[in-house]
Amino acid sequence: MSEPKREKFIVPIGPQHPALKEPGNFEFTVDGEIVTDAAVRLGFVHRGIEKACEVRNYTQDMYLLERICGICSHVHATAFVLGVEKLAGIQAPPRAEAIRVLAAELERIHSHFLWLGVAAHEAGFDTLFMYAWRDREVVMDILETLSGSRVHYSVNVLGGVKIDVDEKLSDLIKKDMDFLEERTEYYMKVVTTDDTFIGRTRGIGTLSKERAEVLGAVGPTVRASGVKRDVRVNSPYSGYKEFPVKMITDETGDLEARFIVRLKELYESYRIIKEILEKIQPGELVTRIKRKIPEGEVISRVEAPRGELFYYIKSNGTEIPERVKVRTPSLCNWGTIMDVAVGHKLADMPMLLVGIDPCFSCNDRMVEVRSNSQKPQIMNWDGLRNYGIEYYR
Amino acid sequence: METSEILESGKIILEKWIESSSTPEENRLDIWVTIENFKPVVQSIVENHWGYLITITGLDVPPLFDEEKKEIQSGQLEALYHFANEAAIITIRVKVPYSKPQIESICDLIPSATIYEREVIELFGFDLLNTPNTDKLVLPDSWPEGVYPMRKTFTNLQVLENTTKEQPDE
Amino acid sequence: MNTDSENFYNQIVNKLKNWARINSPWAIHFNSGSCNGCDIEILATLTPRYDVERLGIKLQGSPRHADVLIATGPVTLQALDRLIRVYEQMPDPKFVIAVGSCALSGGVFDGCYSVIGDLNKVIPVNVYIPGCPPRPEAIIFGVVQLLESLKKGKNPQPITVPDEIPEIAVEEESNGNE
Repeated sequence: MSEPKREKFIVPIGPQHPALKEPGNFEFTVDGEIVTDAAVRLGFVHRGIEKACEVRNYTQDMYLLERICGICSHVHATAFVLGVEKLAGIQAPPRAEAIRVLAAELERIHSHFLWLGVAAHEAGFDTLFMYAWRDREVVMDILETLSGSRVHYSVNVLGGVKIDVDEKLSDLIKKDMDFLEERTEYYMKVVTTDDTFIGRTRGIGTLSKERAEVLGAVGPTVRASGVKRDVRVNSPYSGYKEFPVKMITDETGDLEARFIVRLKELYESYRIIKEILEKIQPGELVTRIKRKIPEGEVISRVEAPRGELFYYIKSNGTEIPERVKVRTPSLCNWGTIMDVAVGHKLADMPMLLVGIDPCFSCNDRMVEVRSNSQKPQIMNWDGLRNYGIEYYR
Repeated sequence: METSEILESGKIILEKWIESSSTPEENRLDIWVTIENFKPVVQSIVENHWGYLITITGLDVPPLFDEEKKEIQSGQLEALYHFANEAAIITIRVKVPYSKPQIESICDLIPSATIYEREVIELFGFDLLNTPNTDKLVLPDSWPEGVYPMRKTFTNLQVLENTTKEQPDE
Repeated sequence: MNTDSENFYNQIVNKLKNWARINSPWAIHFNSGSCNGCDIEILATLTPRYDVERLGIKLQGSPRHADVLIATGPVTLQALDRLIRVYEQMPDPKFVIAVGSCALSGGVFDGCYSVIGDLNKVIPVNVYIPGCPPRPEAIIFGVVQLLESLKKGKNPQPITVPDEIPEIAVEEESNGNE
């Protein structure tokens, strides 16, 4: 960041902000109430996973990459596995592909509920937070019955999947989907009609279509601005060829639109899950794969709950990959915050940050209070959040 | 539009700069360009609104002994700029030697590239000319200058030992 | 006579302090490089299904108000300073609960260049909760184990040396990383 001008405050936030998620540090330069500059520092959760991939073999990498993020663990593993399968020239059986999509959509539901809760919490709407997280437990139960773990499902193996759905479980999931659909309708009503909530979301952080395209944003953030960018539709992979999804977009591009897009995506997920459970064909779950992966380079793109996840895998013909590059969706959405933040009130910042559904673990495979010569006004995340809530009271 | 058509349209835009190209997968086109031509290539992609920049991947090509010429080829760094348009992906690849790892920054054309550029500068030691921000993005503040963790010569253990020694005793 | 009444007074106050501490421990959560899995599970313990607030446990924002540090993840180089600072800012007596395999042993990230390793290398840990990630029930169980030990001990002393892990510590499952 350039030298801050005189009589302007720099407000550092984080990295330790309580109750919520992970460490990240932002610096907002404010002129009175209005933000004039924004900067981000990542790295608190940087563990060096890309390097670690180069010393572990493909199977070990799958489990390591799954632990990049505890929210979207399945999509990381899926992207990696799809890439390796492409390199090896094999195709997972259709039933395995369908189960991968099933797990991915269940994960999307849990992630969107999680985000709804967190976003509501930042807006000072704790009731909605509690409601959303209560309903999220329904999905967590399904995932646990399905795979045995609530967070790192380990659904994938190289060449297929290791879990299966039976009749009984399928009935249970369908019943739960109906319940969640009902709840989603209620949330939709809340976020579109509740006056106090709309006050925090409507017209805030508007990202125009042109700007979103230029900044290369992905996921629900960019779809809320009306850009048709969804890997599941643009470039169907795995089971999405058989079970196509509909692209959900909105025109306004503000925070409210992001809420609406994510909630509408939930409906789409329920539909897909029910469709898969109806149509899934019995069959094999795993195709055999050799330990040594043929030489080559592959790009694998997958739509994570937060947007496009990108994997570049280079193999040198041994059991160990030469290079694994991961580009997570949160990383490209940072650009939008830095762009949108300028000109907004400081009180809107927590909502803006949460609006893109940031995930630091993902980023930090790869944010601190930078020491400034001037005395900055120290404000932690909780303080800022309270400030936001008080401001709009 | 079909994926192949989109790829073809991309190829037409970049025709005159292509040094060599390959299609490793049906939806991909890899283009090698020289370092002088790199900026115009990106500029023409941006001006023609062909897709968006997904990310920049760094690759380390360590020194290699050439059997035929009986000499050691010097180590190189390779930067891969991935652009996506729907299902089609064009990868622009530039190679630079260890001794002079300089590439023009593309932040003036694509502002969002800054975060990716910071990443490759830190992890690989690229020297991106005129990039607006070279602050540390992911590595710890205590990280020594000139050590690039993603280079093949870097091994975990050395650094780990050194850093744990530096810690004050609790 | 004077000293006796002072002793008596001290005893009462200590008992009262201990009683209050056991009945309402305030916790602070710090992520020093975790994948988020443990963090969302800790957050899940606050939500209606598990609701730890009914047990008097409150997740608190500021380290200066906290009794218990719930730490997740392997310690990364960048988070090291902050972890120590947060720990030092907590008032005595303070207790540390390590949640998840990574905080126990480094987990899958053992050997990564930016990771120092398990939590015990940096700050003394009182209770270990294994799992990747542990279920919310396990996290609550871990906190209860800590409280049980406080109930038995007459006057909990701050533990300053990493080796002295009290007997109540939930034994970590052997994962071959030792």
